[in-house]
Amino acid sequence: MVVHILGKGFKGKEVIKIALASKIYGVGLKTSETLCSKLGFYPWMRMHQLSEPQIMSLTSELSNMTIEGNARAVVKENIGLKRRIGSYEGMRHALNLPVRGQRTRNNAKTARRLNRVDRRGLHTDSRGGLSNQRSGLWNWLFT
Amino acid sequence: MRQSLYLLSRSVWKGPNIVPLPVKEALSKGAPIRTNARSATILPQFVGLKFQVHNGKEYVAFEVSEDMVGSKLGEFVPTRKRFSYTQTKNK
Repeated sequence: MVVHILGKGFKGKEVIKIALASKIYGVGLKTSETLCSKLGFYPWMRMHQLSEPQIMSLTSELSNMTIEGNARAVVKENIGLKRRIGSYEGMRHALNLPVRGQRTRNNAKTARRLNRVDRRGLHTDSRGGLSNQRSGLWNWLFT
Repeated sequence: MRQSLYLLSRSVWKGPNIVPLPVKEALSKGAPIRTNARSATILPQFVGLKFQVHNGKEYVAFEVSEDMVGSKLGEFVPTRKRFSYTQTKNK
């Protein structure tokens, strides 16, 4: 049984708080725990136990939070601001180098992979992340 | 001011790093402030002023904008330059 929340499919056996934290960018374990307790789901409740109105309430709660594309936009905006004002941190982002004074003689591989001005917001569904954003842009262009 | 950055870097009871700089003269004359105090926090009063900050070798000029408030003067003046290989001809 698959439960759909905000266009994402969740397996029925998944624990709600863990599934939300791992599938939705901008929701961590802390946020999902508070969300579950706010909606009155007990801690180890699983997806298949949710009733229709409970799913609706969960969806409405999530749609009021800054998650997914909006949360990624916040990160991009912060990096873009640093770049615009010409600070050292912005420069390091633009050069794909470590920002906080780590060594660059060797290693620095994570920074080389990730640091960009237009940084991807990574999450566990990083494969879906970019294409989701593209389709978002697509929708925005053609509506 | 960006609160989180500010809180992460420095204990609260100290407040921002305030260095005595000739801000008043600069405001009246419009002349750039030449300083070595790279660690001085950029205060809201500095917005629109011109600074010449030392990078270890020379004084690099830049103008303070509103977004820069809360960061340090030295953040906008890099101290290191990129290595570029030059062939020596006369050994």
